[in-house]
Amino acid sequence: SIDMLMSSEKEEDPDVIPEDSNLLTLRIRKKNLERREETIIVDRACRQETLTYEMESHATGKRPDSPTDLIEEGELLLTLNIFYPVIFQKHKDHKPYQTVLVLGSQKLTELRDSISCVSDLQIGGEFSSQPDQAPEHISKDLYKSAFFYFEGIFYNDKRYPECRDLSRTIIEWSESHDRGYENLQSVKMEDYAFNDLSLKIGFPYLYCHQGNCEHIIIITDIRLIHHDDCLDRTLYPLLIKKHWLCTRKCFVCKMYTARWVTNRDSLAPEDPCFFCDVCFRMLHYDAEGNKLGEFLAYPYVDPGIFN
Amino acid sequence: MSAVPGLKEDCEELLGAFQQADTVRFERFAELWRERRFHTVFYGRMRALERNKLTKKTLELAQQYFLPPYSFQIRVGALYLLYGLYNAQLCQPKQKIRIALKDWPEIQKFQQDLLDSQHYDAAYIFRRLRLARAFHFTAMPKLLTYRTKKKIEENYFKEEFKDPSNRVNSLITNDVLEELMNIHDHYQKMKCVISANKSQPDKALSLIKDDFVVNLKDMTLEHQEWQQNRMKLFRNAKETHETENKKKEGTLLESEGSERANALARIKYRSYSAVVEASKSRRHRQVQLESSESGSSCGKSPSRSKKTSRRPQPARGGGEMQVAKETVTRHIGMPIITEENSDE
Repeated sequence: SIDMLMSSEKEEDPDVIPEDSNLLTLRIRKKNLERREETIIVDRACRQETLTYEMESHATGKRPDSPTDLIEEGELLLTLNIFYPVIFQKHKDHKPYQTVLVLGSQKLTELRDSISCVSDLQIGGEFSSQPDQAPEHISKDLYKSAFFYFEGIFYNDKRYPECRDLSRTIIEWSESHDRGYENLQSVKMEDYAFNDLSLKIGFPYLYCHQGNCEHIIIITDIRLIHHDDCLDRTLYPLLIKKHWLCTRKCFVCKMYTARWVTNRDSLAPEDPCFFCDVCFRMLHYDAEGNKLGEFLAYPYVDPGIFN
Repeated sequence: MSAVPGLKEDCEELLGAFQQADTVRFERFAELWRERRFHTVFYGRMRALERNKLTKKTLELAQQYFLPPYSFQIRVGALYLLYGLYNAQLCQPKQKIRIALKDWPEIQKFQQDLLDSQHYDAAYIFRRLRLARAFHFTAMPKLLTYRTKKKIEENYFKEEFKDPSNRVNSLITNDVLEELMNIHDHYQKMKCVISANKSQPDKALSLIKDDFVVNLKDMTLEHQEWQQNRMKLFRNAKETHETENKKKEGTLLESEGSERANALARIKYRSYSAVVEASKSRRHRQVQLESSESGSSCGKSPSRSKKTSRRPQPARGGGEMQVAKETVTRHIGMPIITEENSDE
């Protein structure tokens, strides 16, 4: 009966703002809506908005198939903003980021595995003479080291024998002179879960991989898990927001995403120039596969590949 | 986060009315709520993403009134407001109310107070919210967002909602008084024990006033009453002052307004087609579309028509405005800045 006191009496359409409202909020909103109706021809969700909404809400309320994967009460949920490395100049002002939800009981290595960065997919090497032999090894497989930096401690990924301690250089540097940093430590990433860390909300931390690809990580929220959240442990770390990057298209066909980039190319109008696979081969190689003209060619992975 | 325009004013108006009603009963609040049809605050055609954001901001705003330093009555009002907003929201699944860890003991104390003073309806409402899982228990009260803001909006409290800061009371609390009473009794007993006459302390031992604890209590009560009376007087004085001001300014503005309307119409005809909303710092000067007012004043005042007839444009503009009033007035009207009452 208490609920009835609040709700509306008759059938009301929540989309329509009542005419005689004395709420200031509604009057202002009505004006804005009317103005929109005049200026916008088609008022429909663009694909960016659909993507954002879908990502935010696709996992709400999900339950796992197997009961061992159910998240228990009292589990903490952290919201992290992971910023992209600044590749484009325009990103310097409004840094794009992705938002990830992690559970308190998850290890740092799980987060590290879930961060998708374009630099992981780079293929090194110049392949103008042998375009068909671009190797399958991407940088992610070659350079496996990575570390997190939280509150004065470097958490290094040491799961594979190839992993090196990238933080050692920094620690040695800070210890060589009195630079004003308290003693920095280095520990293994796989031994720690988020529950073991002491963190500041809103304070920038670092994730570094590939030796020099750095991402800033900021924790925006910590809260207890809720009945309406996604309770399937296997889905975490959960990506809920991603920045949409426009992919660079081939210079020739303007249709396909660029897969090759050339420098000092006598056949190309600009330096550097981007080509999709088909156009690249058609322009630079003859029917037998001989190289035409002078150029340097590198396989290219576009940052928008994760769209 | 940028605020929902107009929402703070609406909430404060509702809470102010509740405070004036001088009760904490839910029925009273529900009446006020229904009068204003507050559940429509979420109406308006918007897509799901925007609706989620709006609801989050609304709940966050209402939640602020639920915590100290607001007075007890305002906090109860805020509880009812949260209950109403939580149930009236149109999001599916429902957006939750964020409570920070540091605030939780305060809220538990508040609930205990409610039970002790037998405000069972408020306690029941709180329990309903808990059962409906309406709360997110977070570390920090505000969810951080990363947008460059032009200016940091200062969150100011409405003075009347705050409990008058009572230094005297916070020093001489009930507990302290009880302790003093106990110690006093104990002292008296000790004096009796060591003096010759077991039922009465020795005259030589009477070094303090016997009833000083009672006096202290009376004094603090007096002080509190005096403070409350002063607040009431102050509030009443301000209200009467405001209503007087309103009447005076109303008549002044009407003549000024039409003159200004003509001037604006002369200068800005054709270039103005939209209303510019005043920024937060100038919220006292809300821009309103009053096309009918300017139109009628243009036509009505024959003495002024000489001025206006010299320039044919504004008269035409006035006429057009009147005609257009019947169809779609909103976007053709000229924006007129009316002086709204600046309180505080």
